[in-house]
Amino acid sequence: MGPYGSDSTTIASAACSGPEMDAILAGAGFGTRLSGPCNVTNASDYSLPFNPSDLTTWVDSMLTDLTSATTANLPPQPIHATWTNQICSPLNPTDHAASHVLMAQQRKEEEDSGIRLVHLLMTCADAVQRDNTGLAASLVDEMRVLLSRVNTLSGIGKVAGYFADALFRRIYTTEVPLSTSEYEVLYHHFYESCPYLKFAHFTANQAILEACEGYDRVHVIDFSLMQGLQWPALIQALALRPGGPPFLRITGIGPPSPDGRDALREVGFKLAELARSVRVRFAFRGVAANRLDNVKPWMFQATQGEAVAVNSVLQLHRLLTDPATTPAPIDSVLEWIVGIRPKVVTVVEQEADHNKPTFIDRFTEALFYYSTMFDSLEGSRPQHQRQMALAEVYLQKEICNIVCCEGENRVERHEPLAQWQTRLANAGLHRVHLGSNAFRQASMLLTLFSDEGYCVEEVDGCLTLGWHSRPLISASAWRAPDADVSPDDSSVIASNSNNCNIIINSNHNNNNSSNNVSGSDDNRISV
Amino acid sequence: MGAEQEQEQLEKEKEKEPDENEDTMDRGYNLNDNVDILAEIMARLDGRSLGVAACVCRLWSTVCKQDRVWEALCDRHVIGGAGDPGTRSVVAALGGYRRLYRLCLGPALDRLTCSGETTDSDKQGWAHLSLSLSLSLFSIDCYERLEGKQRPASLLFLCKPVNVA
Repeated sequence: MGPYGSDSTTIASAACSGPEMDAILAGAGFGTRLSGPCNVTNASDYSLPFNPSDLTTWVDSMLTDLTSATTANLPPQPIHATWTNQICSPLNPTDHAASHVLMAQQRKEEEDSGIRLVHLLMTCADAVQRDNTGLAASLVDEMRVLLSRVNTLSGIGKVAGYFADALFRRIYTTEVPLSTSEYEVLYHHFYESCPYLKFAHFTANQAILEACEGYDRVHVIDFSLMQGLQWPALIQALALRPGGPPFLRITGIGPPSPDGRDALREVGFKLAELARSVRVRFAFRGVAANRLDNVKPWMFQATQGEAVAVNSVLQLHRLLTDPATTPAPIDSVLEWIVGIRPKVVTVVEQEADHNKPTFIDRFTEALFYYSTMFDSLEGSRPQHQRQMALAEVYLQKEICNIVCCEGENRVERHEPLAQWQTRLANAGLHRVHLGSNAFRQASMLLTLFSDEGYCVEEVDGCLTLGWHSRPLISASAWRAPDADVSPDDSSVIASNSNNCNIIINSNHNNNNSSNNVSGSDDNRISV
Repeated sequence: MGAEQEQEQLEKEKEKEPDENEDTMDRGYNLNDNVDILAEIMARLDGRSLGVAACVCRLWSTVCKQDRVWEALCDRHVIGGAGDPGTRSVVAALGGYRRLYRLCLGPALDRLTCSGETTDSDKQGWAHLSLSLSLSLFSIDCYERLEGKQRPASLLFLCKPVNVA
C-alpha cells in the first residue's frame, strides 16, 4: 500500500507537514518488496526523450499512444473471473496459459501506469515552469490517484512517488531544511546501504596516500567531517606505511552544533583514540562553519614542510550558483585552495547535471538520475529494511532540494565531471591520475557489495562508479602547480594570515616519546 | 617464539618414550596433553574448520581462540604482509586477527571464491589487496565500536559472514 493510497481530498486542505510525509514515506519503505522485471530503467525502452526540447512532440505522441492503450486495459471483473475459474478447476490445463497471460497483462498495465506517471510528471513540471499553478495542482491530484493504483514500493512507482511529492511541496509548502543531526543519521544509513560513499572515501584515501608518500607531516583538510568515517582507514594505512607513520593532522570542517555539544571535537577525540591505539602521532582541529565560503585559509594554520591534502566529498557543488550569476562562491574557495598549495585535492561529486537554468531540464535530469540511483539501492539488498528506507529518505531530501528550492536555498547543484574538470583546471589545479591501485581497490570493494549491477570505470584518470553503465558518482584528484617542491621549501601560506591577531590557546597533549600519540587539539574556531 | 619451540622440542622428546611400550595402557599419548602441537595443527586449518574445532571441547575452544592461530590463517591468504610485527601490532590494536578474519577477511575471501577468480597471479594480486581493503574496513568497524555502539553496522554489507564466534 503506497503513501497515496488514502484520501486524495487532503490536498486542498491542510498540507501534510514535512515530518508526517517523512513518516509516511518511511512507512512505505518498510514494506518494500523487490520487484524483478518491472524495472525503472525499462521505461527508457519507451523512448523517453533525453533532450527536453522535444517535450511537446513527445507528450503528444504519448497521449495518442495511451488513448489507444487504454482500450486494451482489462477491467477488473474478467480478472476475477479467471481467478475463480482457476481455483474451481485446478486441473484445467488451459489455466496455466491463462495465468501467464494474466501476469503479462498485469505487467503491461503496470508499465502503462508507469509511463503515464512519467508523462504526468513531465507535464506537471512544465506547468510549474510556466507558473501555471492551477494546472500543476490538478496534475498532482491526478498523480496521487494514479499512484494509489500503482506499486509504489519499488521501481518506477516509488521514484514517481517521490517526485510527485516534491512537486506537491513546491506548489503548496516551503521546504524545511534538515537539522544537522537528522542529516547525519540519514547520511550514515546511506553510507551503510550502498557503496557510493565508501567508494568515495577509499578512492580519496588512496590518492592522499600516494600523494603524501615520503612526507613526515601530513595535514588533511576535510570539507565535511560528519562522523569522520573516512579517516580510520587512512590512519590505519598510514600506520602500516613502509618507513613508519607520519605526523597526521586533520582539520575537520562542519556545521556548528546547535545544542552546545561540540560535535566536531567529539569526532576528533574518537579519531585521536584510534590513532593512539595504532601509534600514529595525531592532532585534530575543528572549524565550525555553516558555509564553506565563510572559511578562511588562515584558520588551517598550514605550516611549512607539511603535505596538505584537501578532501571534498560532495561539497563543492554547494558553492555553485545559477549559471548566470557571477561571481560564485566556488571561485573564491578554489582560489584559497590553490593558495595553500595542496599536494592533493580529492574531489568527489555526483555525476549529474542538476544545475541547468531551466526547471524542466533539471527535473528531467533528476528523474533519470534518481531512478537509476533507486534502482541500485533496491538491487544491492541491504540487510535492514529500515536502513534502506532511511537511505531513500536521504535521496528524497536531495530530490526535494533540486525540485522545490530556488536561489540560495538550492544547494544540490550537481554538475558532471567534465564541467568540474574545466572549472578546476581554470582555477589553476593540475590533474593527478588515479593509479591502478585505486581502480583495483574500487573493483574489489564492489565485489564485496553483493550485487552485479555496479561498475567502476576509469575516465581520463578519474574513477566513476555507476549502475548498469550509468555513472552516478565520480572521484578525481588534483594538485596545485609546483606542489611537488621539497618539504623544506618555504611554501607560501595565504598572506591574509598577517592581518589577523588571533591567539589560539594550544592545549596540545603531545607526548614527545617516540611511539606515542597526541590527544586532540582543543581548538575550535567558529565562524 | 624461541621459548615455545624449545618447549615443543622437550615435549617431543618426552613423547618418544611411549613408543617403546605402545601396548601398555597406562601411558597412551593424548594430543590434548600437548597444547602447542595442537595450536600448530589448528594454525593450518581454514576458517570454517577452526570454527568447528572450537566446538569440540573446552580445551580446543581455548586453543582455537588464540590469536596466533588466526594470524597464521590470515597470513596464508595474503602475500607477505599479515605476519610482520608492524602489521601485527596494528591488527592487535584494532581488535585482533580472529576478529579481522571473522568480520572482513573471511567474508571477502568467500565472496572472491564465489565470484571465481581465474588466474593464479590474479588471485595473488586480489589476495594482497584484500588485506589492505580488509584492514581499512576493519579500522572503520573498530572506530565505530569506540563510540560504544553495540552492533556497528559498517560491515553489514559483507554477505555470508563466516561465523566463527
